[in-house]
Amino acid sequence: MAKTVLIVEDNELNMKLFHDLLEAHGYNTVGTRNGIEALDLARKHRPNLILMDIQLPEVSGLEVTKWLKDDPDLKAIPVVAVTAFAMKGDEERIREGGCEAYLSKPISVGKFIETIRQFLGDA
Amino acid sequence: MKLLASIRDYVDAQVHPSVQTDALTSARHRAFIAPRLLGSLAALATLPAYLAMRGVPSLLEVAVFAWLIAPILTAYFLSRTGKFESAHVLSSLALTGLVTMVAAKTGGIGSFAAIWFVIVPLEAALSASRRVVAVASTLVLAAAALLVLCGAYDLLPAPAEHSQAALAALGVISASLYATGLALGAESLARTSFWLLYAEEDRYRLLACNMTDVIARHGRNGTVLFISPAAEAMFGATAAELKGHGLFDRVHVADRPAYLTALSDASAQGEEHPVEFRVRRDDADGTVRFIWIEMRCRPLGHAVGETVTLGAREVVAVMRDVTARKIQEQSVEEARREAERANDAKGRFLATMSHELRTPLNAIIGFSDMLVNEKEMRLDGARRREYAQLINDSGNHLLAVVNGILDMSKLDTGEFDIRPEPFGLAGAIGNCCDLLALKAREAGIELSMHVSETLPEIVADKRALKQILLNLLSNAIKFTDAGGRVKVTAEVEGTMIAIAVADTGIGIGAEDLPRIGSPFFQARGSYDRRHDGTGLGLSIVKGLASLHGGDVAIDSRLGEGTRITVRLPLDCERARSETIQSNIIRHADGFAAVLTEETMPVKKSA
Repeated sequence: MAKTVLIVEDNELNMKLFHDLLEAHGYNTVGTRNGIEALDLARKHRPNLILMDIQLPEVSGLEVTKWLKDDPDLKAIPVVAVTAFAMKGDEERIREGGCEAYLSKPISVGKFIETIRQFLGDA
Repeated sequence: MKLLASIRDYVDAQVHPSVQTDALTSARHRAFIAPRLLGSLAALATLPAYLAMRGVPSLLEVAVFAWLIAPILTAYFLSRTGKFESAHVLSSLALTGLVTMVAAKTGGIGSFAAIWFVIVPLEAALSASRRVVAVASTLVLAAAALLVLCGAYDLLPAPAEHSQAALAALGVISASLYATGLALGAESLARTSFWLLYAEEDRYRLLACNMTDVIARHGRNGTVLFISPAAEAMFGATAAELKGHGLFDRVHVADRPAYLTALSDASAQGEEHPVEFRVRRDDADGTVRFIWIEMRCRPLGHAVGETVTLGAREVVAVMRDVTARKIQEQSVEEARREAERANDAKGRFLATMSHELRTPLNAIIGFSDMLVNEKEMRLDGARRREYAQLINDSGNHLLAVVNGILDMSKLDTGEFDIRPEPFGLAGAIGNCCDLLALKAREAGIELSMHVSETLPEIVADKRALKQILLNLLSNAIKFTDAGGRVKVTAEVEGTMIAIAVADTGIGIGAEDLPRIGSPFFQARGSYDRRHDGTGLGLSIVKGLASLHGGDVAIDSRLGEGTRITVRLPLDCERARSETIQSNIIRHADGFAAVLTEETMPVKKSA
């Protein structure tokens, strides 16, 4: 069965980009623009990986990550931050916030897929 | 006069160097040396005349004249050694010896010379030393007792047959004269010491009255027992008002603990440390303000080398007004914080800008990467066209962000050129509405314009006005759902024109209102979607309006709609020159040139 990736991303174009990229590599995707909905979707679909944007409406991706990691059922799911926060110190801050990996936007497609494979193996 | 002056100079030169700096003691020394030198020399000067009259002198007479050399010796002794008491004792000894000798030869205790015994303690009194007086008195009493004893046992030679009455008179007169001399000397010394005291007091008064620092003596419980007159200038209250608890009552409530701690530390532990506190000052015009005082306390009677006994003591405090220094420190601190804030703001701006640029770049690079690897990705023609379109959209968005940033930066640094020209407002608003009519129709929004054709022409930058309108209208359309309405109105308000764009859109929450118009900020209260856009539109509108001498007002309720009103002067050229003019008048005291530069951030193009 294909592995599922939950994409939390508030920019429509970037959502489509991640969705198309993952689909082209054989992964299933579930997407949301909203951090609170992300938690519900994670419970419902039990994804194998979560791609997390950090700047989101209402609650930040860091906050959502904290909730995920505080939930015993969900904390095993690896969270990969994909964010345009790429100033000095951002990566440390985000990794300390509980994310297993950090990718800065703009992404390199090769590195993006490689990072996904590291966690999920081939689809 | 010249002779007297030279004698005085000579006598002054004889005073021992160790006491020359002390006015009173050197006066005593002079009073000792001068009469002895002069008196003895004068007496010796009479010797030839005496010898001529008397012929061959008796042994006694030779001895008396020889003895006259003794005062010169004691004066010399004092001049060389500076030992005042010893000189006095020697002098007493010499005089007692002379009187005793003369008396012994002339009838013992009943001799005409015996009255001179009285002179000895009197002379010793000039030394101002009890010890010397005691020694002199003892000497005199012993000599008198010796004469009495010798007389009782008939050991004394029979007095020569002289005229006893004449000699007695001579004795009394000479002793009286000498005593008068001593009395005059004593009076002169007393006057010297009085003047010296007065001069000293004068110096202290001069210090106390002209020193800006205030000196106060505090009792064991911290109350003020004495405060120097300078306090009146410093605190605007009389010394009497400040005594007791007067000063404490004026200390700022928040600083009272520090004030009391400093006093009690100095009193109990002898610790001297400066403390700074605020004190209320009553100005002459009745205003009350607080001044900063630096106070240094030290316990009273604590001198170097003295054993410090712990326990409560009185305290001497020196207070100084350090308000100017404090104000300077505060302004430096304020400037530092301001610089930090500006730096933080710049840092945040850069971070946000980086974020806003990276977001569209991500789509551009990502999709183009997929296009490059189209075979791997198994992209069909429709997909490729779609991706190319997405890349194009993102590129355009990126361009909008970059342009917005440039505009913002120009507005920030005052490099944005505005070129005011007269034009009809109704036409300009109409053009903008036409430009966005299609977009509004696509979004299912009714766009309407309510502008009177009779509006006067305004003088403003036409491009800037167009950008203001387009930004406001596209924002209104963007944040209004299908079926909503967007309405533009314009009306004259005095010398201003108020252009308002009202929508029935999602509105802005009260908590977001203050931040609306900050660069990159998009209110996101409870909306379920992030709207496109750079978040720069309204801040550019604000910048452009203020360049025209106008302002922007936002009136909005969440879920009900937003109304943004831009007020511009009807003639922005005149309004701007008036603003500058009034600034010059307001700051006419020498800063006009600087401020004019600052208030004219716009380089006007011809």
